[in-house]
Amino acid sequence: MTGPEAELEGGLYEARQKIYPREIEGRFQRWRAIAVWVLLGIYYLLPWIRWGGRQAVLFDLPARKFHIFGLTLWPQDFYFLTWLLVIAALSLFFFTALAGRLFCGYACPQTVWTETFLWMERLVEGNRSQQMKLAKAPWTLEKLMRKGAKQFLWIAFALWTGFTFVGYFTPITELAGKIVNFATGPWEKFWVLFYGGATYFNAGFMREQVCKYMCPYARFQSAMFDKDTLIITYDAERGEPRGARKKGSDYKSRGLGDCIDCTMCVQVCPTGIDIRKGLQYECIACAACIDACDEVMDKVGYPRGLVRYDTQHGLEGVKKRVLRPRTLVYATLLAVLLGGFAVALSNRSVVGMDVIRDRNALYRERPDGLVENVYNVKILNKDAASHEFHITVSGLPGIEVDYAGPTVLVGPGQVQSVPVRVRVPRGGISGGVDVQFAIETTDRPELRAEGKARFLAPTG
Amino acid sequence: MPLGEEYSGKLRWPRLMQDVAIVAWPSFLVASVATMVCFAFIDPLLIGHDDYPPPAFSTRMTGYAVGFFFFWLISALSSLLTLYLARTAHPEPPETDLAKDETRSVE
Repeated sequence: MTGPEAELEGGLYEARQKIYPREIEGRFQRWRAIAVWVLLGIYYLLPWIRWGGRQAVLFDLPARKFHIFGLTLWPQDFYFLTWLLVIAALSLFFFTALAGRLFCGYACPQTVWTETFLWMERLVEGNRSQQMKLAKAPWTLEKLMRKGAKQFLWIAFALWTGFTFVGYFTPITELAGKIVNFATGPWEKFWVLFYGGATYFNAGFMREQVCKYMCPYARFQSAMFDKDTLIITYDAERGEPRGARKKGSDYKSRGLGDCIDCTMCVQVCPTGIDIRKGLQYECIACAACIDACDEVMDKVGYPRGLVRYDTQHGLEGVKKRVLRPRTLVYATLLAVLLGGFAVALSNRSVVGMDVIRDRNALYRERPDGLVENVYNVKILNKDAASHEFHITVSGLPGIEVDYAGPTVLVGPGQVQSVPVRVRVPRGGISGGVDVQFAIETTDRPELRAEGKARFLAPTG
Repeated sequence: MPLGEEYSGKLRWPRLMQDVAIVAWPSFLVASVATMVCFAFIDPLLIGHDDYPPPAFSTRMTGYAVGFFFFWLISALSSLLTLYLARTAHPEPPETDLAKDETRSVE
């Protein structure tokens, strides 16, 4: 068995050791903090925003309707969601080709929530060395209090996260009222705890292990990489050979590079890797090592950027290219899909219909010489305003339509079932013929929909 | 949870933990998508409604939840089998006497 294989076997008996990333400040960590605030701000506040008398963003599963501000999507509009998912995937490819794992470092929910849980941990337990000391210390009252306070913060925050999640699917103000009165339904309770529990374990305990063992993107993102992709990298040319030295000493005459081997880049790494060993799939591109190294370089008076965002071409001193076939193809595809999505969404039909034959009788022969079929017409009004609808049927000579008319009122976002009788003179047909149904609003004739159904008559 | 020492480079989940994670997580993702697609086309209240008067689910939320866990279960079974087959396969084809003979005859 080869080396890595043997190492894997060793893993069977080895407990995972918790990583205590050293806290670090710097320009990229500021950007990450901003990303956390913006993304979590959107997540926690969005369900509270109102729009036209209802929750602005509500995926109303019990009613099978998705409200997104002025837009209401029905199960029939499902392909828009599929389309959106394709756009999201392609954007991920595009940004990965352009700037590497930006998503991982700044926007992935796993990173964002882990970051928040780390903040809470630091708030209660102090910095890295204080945390490690506390972990080793015997169980005193102070340790109990600190660990208890951390758990309290974590659990409260996780439950709030679960509550917010369910608030996207069931009106959040009602849900809050139910929780205050202990009157939540069984599924609401279950999903709050499920999502809250997942947040607690993913962000509190599993952390970077999710990226290392569970994330498919971490494994295939390298397929989008090329030599012009922005990556976080250590300039080995400049840094090596690394080694400790006295401040201000002439290290170059001793044959040393710029890396003083202070291991700060390793200590701040949330996934516990050494960036100086080159690009590794565990790297989530959080740029903590860049900030750490810049700070050290400032202290010892060397130029910044020993660890930096750069491309492979940049490191080799080759000219960098942002526009290249890969990025152009991704960008074009993305633009076409986005444009198509916008056009399709704006041209989406806001009325729809369904025709179902009455199951009780095939046909009825009337004494006045007409053959009658009964249908159930479902009128769907997806518009934000109510409309009056006409129903017409065509396709056979002398066809007559009879329903509780002359028009049918359907409210905004409502479905109305209308029993419709269709009559044709006997002898005109034999067996079955397709007839065309159409609905049309009285106020805006362009809002119309069509449907087809079978008309049955006695044979012969 | 094991209480940690300082970073030592040995950062690895035990095998069992890895196995649980790589079975449960991908099947969770797949089950989420399957649930979305399935219930975009099927209203849970209409399941079992045609033949007998009582529908299979009393509320839509129950239908969605049961559907989701059903999908999670079957995709987890599939992941588990895949993992089992991948873990128990020989890393290389076993060497047989026949193979040795063939090498010899080629030489």
